[in-house]
Amino acid sequence: MTTITADGHLDDHAHDADHKPAFFQRWFMSTNHKDIGTLYLIFAIFAGIIGGAISGLMRLELAEPGIQYLQAWASMSNGTEASMDQAYHLWNVLITAHGLIMVFFMVMPAMIGGFGNWFVPLMIGAPDMAFPRMNNVSFWLLVPALLLLLGSSFVPGGTGNGAGTGWTVYAPLSTSGSAGPAVDMAILSLHLAGASSILGAVNFITTIFNMRAPGMTLHKMPLFVWSVLVTAFLLLLALPVLAAAITMLLTDRNFGTAFFDAAGGGDPVLYQHLFWFFGHPEVYIMILPGFGMVSHIVSTFSRKPIFGYLGMAYAMVAIGVVGFVVWAHHMFTTGMSVNVKMYFTAATMVIAVPTGIKIFSWIATMWGGSMTFKTPMMWALGFIFMFTVGGVTGVVLANGGIDDNLHDTYYVVAHFHYVLSLGAVFSIFAGFYYWFPKMSGRMYSELLGQLHFWIFFIGVNILFFPQHFLGQQGMPRRYPDYPDAYAYWNEISSIGYAVMLVGVVIFFVNIIYSMFAGRKAEGNYWGEGATTLEWTLSSPPPFHQFETLPQIK
Amino acid sequence: MTHYVKAWILALGLILTPATLSAQEALPEAPSIEPAAASAVEAADAPAATAAAPSGLDPELYTPMKPTPGIGMPVDGGVDFQQQFSETGKQAHWINNAILVPMMFGVSLIVLGLMLWVVVRFRRSANPEPSKTTHNTFIEIIWTVIPVLILVVIAVPSISLLANQFEPAPEDALTVKITGYQWYWGYNYPDNGDFEIISNMLSEEDADARGEPYQLAADNRMVIPVGKPVKLLITAADVIHSFAVPAAWFKLDAVPGRINEKVMQIDREGVYYGQCSELCGARHGFMPITVEVLSEEKFNDWVRANGGTVKGDEAADEAEAETAANDNTTDIASAEAVAATN
Amino acid sequence: MSTAASTLSDKNRRSAMMAALMGLGMLGMGYAAVPLYEIFCRVTGYGGTTQRTDAATAATVQSTSRVMSIRFDSNVNSALPWTFKPENPVDRVSVGAKDMAIYLATNESTVPVVGTATFNVTPVQAGQYFHKVQCFCFTEQLLKPGETMRMPVLYYVDPAILEDPETRDIEEITLSYTFYRSKDGLAVDAAGGKI
Repeated sequence: MTTITADGHLDDHAHDADHKPAFFQRWFMSTNHKDIGTLYLIFAIFAGIIGGAISGLMRLELAEPGIQYLQAWASMSNGTEASMDQAYHLWNVLITAHGLIMVFFMVMPAMIGGFGNWFVPLMIGAPDMAFPRMNNVSFWLLVPALLLLLGSSFVPGGTGNGAGTGWTVYAPLSTSGSAGPAVDMAILSLHLAGASSILGAVNFITTIFNMRAPGMTLHKMPLFVWSVLVTAFLLLLALPVLAAAITMLLTDRNFGTAFFDAAGGGDPVLYQHLFWFFGHPEVYIMILPGFGMVSHIVSTFSRKPIFGYLGMAYAMVAIGVVGFVVWAHHMFTTGMSVNVKMYFTAATMVIAVPTGIKIFSWIATMWGGSMTFKTPMMWALGFIFMFTVGGVTGVVLANGGIDDNLHDTYYVVAHFHYVLSLGAVFSIFAGFYYWFPKMSGRMYSELLGQLHFWIFFIGVNILFFPQHFLGQQGMPRRYPDYPDAYAYWNEISSIGYAVMLVGVVIFFVNIIYSMFAGRKAEGNYWGEGATTLEWTLSSPPPFHQFETLPQIK
Repeated sequence: MTHYVKAWILALGLILTPATLSAQEALPEAPSIEPAAASAVEAADAPAATAAAPSGLDPELYTPMKPTPGIGMPVDGGVDFQQQFSETGKQAHWINNAILVPMMFGVSLIVLGLMLWVVVRFRRSANPEPSKTTHNTFIEIIWTVIPVLILVVIAVPSISLLANQFEPAPEDALTVKITGYQWYWGYNYPDNGDFEIISNMLSEEDADARGEPYQLAADNRMVIPVGKPVKLLITAADVIHSFAVPAAWFKLDAVPGRINEKVMQIDREGVYYGQCSELCGARHGFMPITVEVLSEEKFNDWVRANGGTVKGDEAADEAEAETAANDNTTDIASAEAVAATN
Repeated sequence: MSTAASTLSDKNRRSAMMAALMGLGMLGMGYAAVPLYEIFCRVTGYGGTTQRTDAATAATVQSTSRVMSIRFDSNVNSALPWTFKPENPVDRVSVGAKDMAIYLATNESTVPVVGTATFNVTPVQAGQYFHKVQCFCFTEQLLKPGETMRMPVLYYVDPAILEDPETRDIEEITLSYTFYRSKDGLAVDAAGGKI
């Protein structure tokens, strides 16, 4: 793809390149893209633990029919004996929090905030992001956002404490259906998280357009940078629409407007249109940076340049563009005319084409390569296959007529966990293992990494694959309890969670091990397959890099 | 790298073994429609004193039918869709099982196969010198065009399914108006005297006593005639709900402030269950849908038992005659005057 | 060096402004979606939105021999203490012919109450062919305690419905109203019902 000569990094310290500010200044008022990236990653891990723990509670409750724990948990959160309805409400709070946390506070901060901040400037040969202080603001907006969301669980939200509206916050359940401040807090939390992401998007767009090293044209730009660029545009175009929609929710709730209230001439379905106009691009926001990372990893461990680089880059652009005109496939059952349904069926299926191009290009990249199977590569391979599985069920769901049965069942839950939990999360782990030594200067344990992969891989498949069966059998999503007939696969699914959990524990053991006992990492510890600019630097890179800009031939 | 292959097989095996087992178990339970219908009729004919009492209706006219195990409800450990009892449901089920499932397995297995092949063939020990190929226009065109063709193959039956699902109901079709409430369903029969059925979930004890599955069974059922298109008008009183009957491939949202319409036709007498399918608050999981499908005759009896009117009955005929007489366009002018004053 | 740096920061500011403008534009689009959606629904009949037509235009429409059944559906929100029913649940009319339907609303409470109604038709694709010349939709209606009002709807079905392959097989159209307690009308309620 590109050949690179970089010079001047080895004697960077001669120019005080490694002079770091004091602790408070460095971590709380940071303007350094690598430090901010690290903060984002720590934040994402923290949020991931909370979101993952919530899903643990959910799988525990769903492990067998009947309500086993919810009432006790609700009582704990209330301080007084909770009614059955409050217990059920707690369930809705859990599913809402799990969704919002995983989307806004785990996947997005990890991919865009974490890896994006760390590696976009490194890969384009820039000394830092275009607006370092704005970068810091972006991160620190997320912290109160998460606190607001977590705090909302402890204030009234209708039947019980917390916002129990689902991550989609559909009106009128979220307006007239949820009295109390919890939903307001959740909406404000989304506002802050959205503002954070929009600022981040502006920053990335500016950085990528203006701060590439001399010689690095757009068509020589690493694919991860391409993916972040497309993602930033998606954020910029989609998030304001969400902001508008949830602001209208807020005024409907508190100031007597009737945007989505039929009583005042509004239409609840309009909210769904607005939400999914954001929501569908959002799923690409969560997966595109993963595409970018997987491309680099596959190329590195095949010791071969990316196959069909331009096709890969423009496939992402195509996915981004088409992603804006398919939103109503989330609304097939709201009562649409046949023509509208046919259009959205056809448009949605079109997305399979650029996605297919990506899958096959990754395989073609490996074809003829000289492959090694280090941990990041295992995650990338797992990603490619699992994303394919999630993709083909997506083609099924794209059919408006088929979706009539599957809509809002566990089939949908299985589908989007295959593309997100096994897609986005696999790519995050892939990127993490790929770059962890670059970021920390310490190698991780290959044995623990492999163990983590295999256990996690088996766990999530046991966890999510049976949910296809539950969905085909008709089990609706967002149910705290179910008829006995669904017991078998629910139990298997919960066992899968336990297996996955073991994998996650190994991951944390691995991090701790590497921090304290990990071997020191060289500048380019992956060898000749790794060709992007970050590998020309030491591990970790100097505090300030590329004071002399690298030349790209 | 053999452990790699083994683990894949192991993982897939783990997932699929119980699936195939239960699929085999489920198969003998899925008979053709005739015997199932027969047994359903038997169940309805059998004296069900315990069940009749709670319905509160004249047992001479209507006794709630016992559901047939495995029909109209999920089966233990089931993997496939519920057995379908409507034309469009059968078509959709066929599209899924004959076109979409093979597509999914085909694509996934091709990708898996290619991956396993490159993993084995192009591992470092087998291929120490990587090639430098980064382009092959021909292959790139192939993997763009073939998916397009596959999608076209899927789209054709899919579009025809959609067209069939939107076939409008005939004018004389029975109309049932369904209203979603937090957290129960209301069924109105505007063509039959507009009586309303309020349908709440049965408690576990009651469901057991009636021999029905808990969380699927409701105290009062929506009853419709068999083998005829029934027009369902669906709305909600408070928040959005969704009316779903998986065995009829039916799901439509109940949106407050607007009406939705869809045709349901079930071709076998029996009891069919569904559950609310749009998050509607605390008891979202506990407002099931129970549909009982009866012969025209028994359906009419059920209507009479509820105090409703049946087309063809004397009283109804008279009412209709009156309606027709009143329906006169000449009073438009006077009504316009009324409107003007508002 | 300093000029290079300032050029870069100028460039950056320009890019950031452009990007921020895009974001602001989309925010505006989000809000604009509300009236645009309304217009879109009205023009295309999306979601079963009916058409409004003045009497003069309506007078030019020719009646056809095809008869269609029109069903009238009514709903009352629980916050509104009214009963509200169509006089006849079903009318049979010729496509193109103007017809009058009457809804009857009664205030069952002991205080004056203002109500307002939303409406749509199904099948939803019939919306663009269902014309209302006159109706009480979205005009606030005041009912004194115990008062019953006859609410007329003057409508016709556009004969073009018979040419659209998506709608020509429709045999029955349902017109549905849902009455809510008027939000703005709450003050009127309190003021003893003087508009």
